[in-house]
Amino acid sequence: MIPGEFDYHSPQTLAEAISLLVEHGDEAKILAGGQSLIPAMRFRLALPGTLIDINRIDGLSYLREENGHLLIGAMTRESALEESDIVQSKYHLLADAAAVIADPLVRNLATVGGNIAHSDPANDHPAVMLAYGATVMAAGPNGTRRIAIDDFFTDLFENSLEENEILTEIRIPTPAAGTGGAYLKLERKVGDYAISAAAVQLTMSGGTCTAARIGLTNVSPVPMRAKNAEQALVGQTLTDDVIEAAGQAAAAECDPSQDLRGSVAYKRDLTRVMVKRTIRKAMERAN
Amino acid sequence: MLGKSIFRDDAHGKVTGSALYPGDIEKDHFLHAKLLFTGQPHARMIRMDTAAAEAVPGVVCILKAEDVPVNEHGLVMLDQPVMVGLNSKKPFSDVSRWEGDRAAMIVAETEEAAARARDLIEIEWEQLPVVTSPVEAMRDETIIHGEEPSNVYKHYRIRKGEMAAGWAAADVIVEETYQVPMQEHAYLQPEAGVSYIDEEGRVTVEVAGQWTHEDQTLIAHALDIPKEQVRVIYPAIGGAFGGREDMSVQIVLALASQRLREMGINRPVRIQWTREESVIGHHKRHAVTIHTRWGAAKTGELTAIEVEMILDAGSYNCTSNKVLGNAHLTVAGPYRIPNAHIDSYAVYTNNCPGGAFRGFGAPQGCFVAESQMNKLAIALGIDPVELRLKNVLREGEASITDTPLPAGISIKTVIEQCADKFEEPFSGAQVLPRSFQSLPADPKALRRGRGFACALKNIGFSFGFPERSEAYVELRGRGEIDRVVVRHAGADVGQGAHTAFKQMVAEAVGVPYEKVEGVFSDTAYTGDSGSASASRLTWMTGNAIRGAVEKALTLWKQEERPAVGFFRYQPPPTEMLDDKTGKSNPNITYGYVAEAVDVTVDIETGHITIDRVVCANDVGRAVNPNLIEGQIEGAVVQAFGYAVTENLQSKNGHILNPRFSTYLIPGIRDVPQKVESLIIEEPDPQGPWGVRGMAEMPFIPLAPAITAALYDATGVWFNELPLTPGNVRMRLKNTLVPDLT
Ligand SMILES: Cc1cc2nc3c(=O)[nH]c(=O)nc-3n(C[C@H](O)[C@H](O)[C@H](O)COP(=O)(O)OP(=O)(O)OC[C@H]3O[C@@H](n4cnc5c(N)ncnc54)[C@H](O)[C@@H]3O)c2cc1C
Repeated sequence: MIPGEFDYHSPQTLAEAISLLVEHGDEAKILAGGQSLIPAMRFRLALPGTLIDINRIDGLSYLREENGHLLIGAMTRESALEESDIVQSKYHLLADAAAVIADPLVRNLATVGGNIAHSDPANDHPAVMLAYGATVMAAGPNGTRRIAIDDFFTDLFENSLEENEILTEIRIPTPAAGTGGAYLKLERKVGDYAISAAAVQLTMSGGTCTAARIGLTNVSPVPMRAKNAEQALVGQTLTDDVIEAAGQAAAAECDPSQDLRGSVAYKRDLTRVMVKRTIRKAMERAN
Repeated sequence: MLGKSIFRDDAHGKVTGSALYPGDIEKDHFLHAKLLFTGQPHARMIRMDTAAAEAVPGVVCILKAEDVPVNEHGLVMLDQPVMVGLNSKKPFSDVSRWEGDRAAMIVAETEEAAARARDLIEIEWEQLPVVTSPVEAMRDETIIHGEEPSNVYKHYRIRKGEMAAGWAAADVIVEETYQVPMQEHAYLQPEAGVSYIDEEGRVTVEVAGQWTHEDQTLIAHALDIPKEQVRVIYPAIGGAFGGREDMSVQIVLALASQRLREMGINRPVRIQWTREESVIGHHKRHAVTIHTRWGAAKTGELTAIEVEMILDAGSYNCTSNKVLGNAHLTVAGPYRIPNAHIDSYAVYTNNCPGGAFRGFGAPQGCFVAESQMNKLAIALGIDPVELRLKNVLREGEASITDTPLPAGISIKTVIEQCADKFEEPFSGAQVLPRSFQSLPADPKALRRGRGFACALKNIGFSFGFPERSEAYVELRGRGEIDRVVVRHAGADVGQGAHTAFKQMVAEAVGVPYEKVEGVFSDTAYTGDSGSASASRLTWMTGNAIRGAVEKALTLWKQEERPAVGFFRYQPPPTEMLDDKTGKSNPNITYGYVAEAVDVTVDIETGHITIDRVVCANDVGRAVNPNLIEGQIEGAVVQAFGYAVTENLQSKNGHILNPRFSTYLIPGIRDVPQKVESLIIEEPDPQGPWGVRGMAEMPFIPLAPAITAALYDATGVWFNELPLTPGNVRMRLKNTLVPDLT
């Protein structure tokens, strides 16, 4: 399969990239790791007239803690998450996810920013960032703005970035004491997208769950939080029954479609199981 | 020289990338070709307009059905048009019966121009009813091949003993329906080839196939020229597994070169399929539905079996009638069955054709036989290994065709050795990291189980086919032999065949391996080897080499320099099944195998891991033990894909997942954690140095061993493949495992 024809630019600065975006409008696409965009172009699902490659721009790849947040530069590769001591020691939910995204070859190129900007409910980072309550930083001709992750995903492959904006950074709140997170994913084959996966971030206080955020992967047209499942947990002692209730709530509120990964009934049931198991693992880590 | 794990001749080139697969061949002034697939599972062509395509700059010629001198091909029956289209002399070739039928071959200066022209060809179709269910096809409301009276074009029978007596003697009866799916070969190298007119004026095709001389025959037939004017050469071949037995790009490439010669253009042509074209454009392992009933006495002896098997042949025969024959016999397993009634049908549909694939009907047949034996073992309360040992065929006993299997039956040995080895603890070797590391399953949800199965499979072509293999061996030197050249057509499809051939030559002549040279797989220099399939190649070639060496040595002693020996090996003839009873001697010889597995299943998610596989495979005599282990491990992985991860889906005759992001062959972290290969050497009396064919056998028993282990783990039988997480979980859930929420 051969992609359509396109122009190619590789700006050296963010400002240059933004002016190229302004110039080319909806004809243009940002090229980050290319691990979603290039397959889409090969199958002609995407036919951008202009590619703006942001790989040459310095200073978009970093992982550092600042003001109670982990700042992730948009161009940070998945493999950098796996190699980061900060991520591995403090951000367990993120570390869990980074290990199960695609395969090592893809992880060497794929970026965290691209994963979120692509806004594919099959991708793993959307659910992770929903569970963290992350913030997305977007740079455009009028400067930089922040977008709460809850307001970011708007439709299948759609988000609230403007046409002329570039996602530059993701901010994750540093987990407070008593907070733990986990990500569990079931694949048909190692390296595949999830049949269903759950991201859970919990805060526990003396055996009671005081806060919970749960994101789900690949069981809805838009990346989603399982809010009913969260509510089933908050204010409760996490007994087997409470956890089962949360799992059932997630199974009911998700909205999967039947495909080669399985039937709707199976995916709902699996979501219940994944949510329960992830809650248990997050609980262990919170304590 | 035998029994040594000599390093493969082709290994270095393949590891470093210098080996040339057909798509890697470079020639000056290449033209590029693209095939237009019809995309029509069932439709009649009304009109075809190539004007816009011909106007694309760079287009050299467009070949259509009317340009094919004899528009037909097929390995067994000539039921397939080279191209579907109008004005062909071949009747009914205006009908597309398969989405992978070809409608045009476009030759152009660049691949892009060829692709653009392909996309501009306009075709008007009259839609015909698309028949995808073999049961529906059997009603013959829509006939798929106009010249045939019925879609059911092959029916085999077994009528043995007295069924009433057999059922009366049964204390236990197990009756079941099984359904096994299609499988894609998924070889790494998609179809590709190069063609040109060689210095002797022959239409020459360099392509990856399995049988040079068969390609040559079918090309010559379609082009209506003598075979001698066609030359076929195999460069490096990136896997085959049966999927390259039928014609993919061979005939159309030759046709293009012939046309270019007529146009006075002396330039080579190349074609390279994409993965999607490969998956859509070649046959698959057959989907089969089997209904069966087996009876056994309290003591464990089988008393009767009854089988009805429906094989979805798809749109063209390819080798379906032969695959059907094999499934028809292996459905009885390697067992003594006094009373049997078997009906097997091959049925045309508008699905992708079924054809050759490692095991050739035996995986389907043995899945049924072994599942039935495992169920009988439970019903009778007899250990599954014991039950098999009570029933396996011994020398001289009547097999399902009412004749004894050829001498050298080693099924008892492989069963016993496999069971013994399995009971030994793990050797402690490093195991791979567990798959699905993200899933530390709820320990309560994990169940472990063990399963056992065995199999037999014929070696060589069956049912009266005139089997042969030809070899030339040339001894050079004066006083002593200082160089030996072997010429043989046998295809090295990636199994290391050429290295094994040279080892056998060295052994037969009595020289070191380094003194042997090979000229392989070129019809200009070699005799007919027969196909690299049916686990026959080492076996037949070894016999041919022994004959050729013996002749060459005689000439050498008579002072001939160089001394060239030619030998055509022909095994004892076989027979077609008797129409009414199936009584016959259908096969030359057999290979035997047994496998035991440890399986873990997560009952809440349906996800399976295979912890351990022990495979006992009788190879007669191991020519190269490393290559044999490669075959066993490769077959186990491929069978694991068949049983668990792969899941070819098609709807209304269209394959839905023709790429590796959706058709999931197992990766290194999915495959069984540990495969222990037990190489058994019980000589085949007819094999060269006792060699037995072995490369298909380890595929065959894995699926029924896994379902037996799943039963052991969960108490639920699985009669359908694949065992994807979704299929497993939903069946467990619906079958009420007591502690499953
Ligand atoms: C074989 C394979 C398996 C995979 N499996 C998984 C998996 O299991 N889980 C998973 O999560 N993902 C998986 N992926 C997807 C992978 O993680 C992608 O890399 C990711 O979705 C996109 O990141 P990228 O950097 O490659 O972005 P690109 O492909 O370069 O871009 C994707 C989209 O985002 C836009 N974009 C990228 N960066 C920015 C930015 N900074 N600002 C604005 N827009 C931007 C692009 O314009 C494009 O529309 C897989 C990919 C492959 C090839």
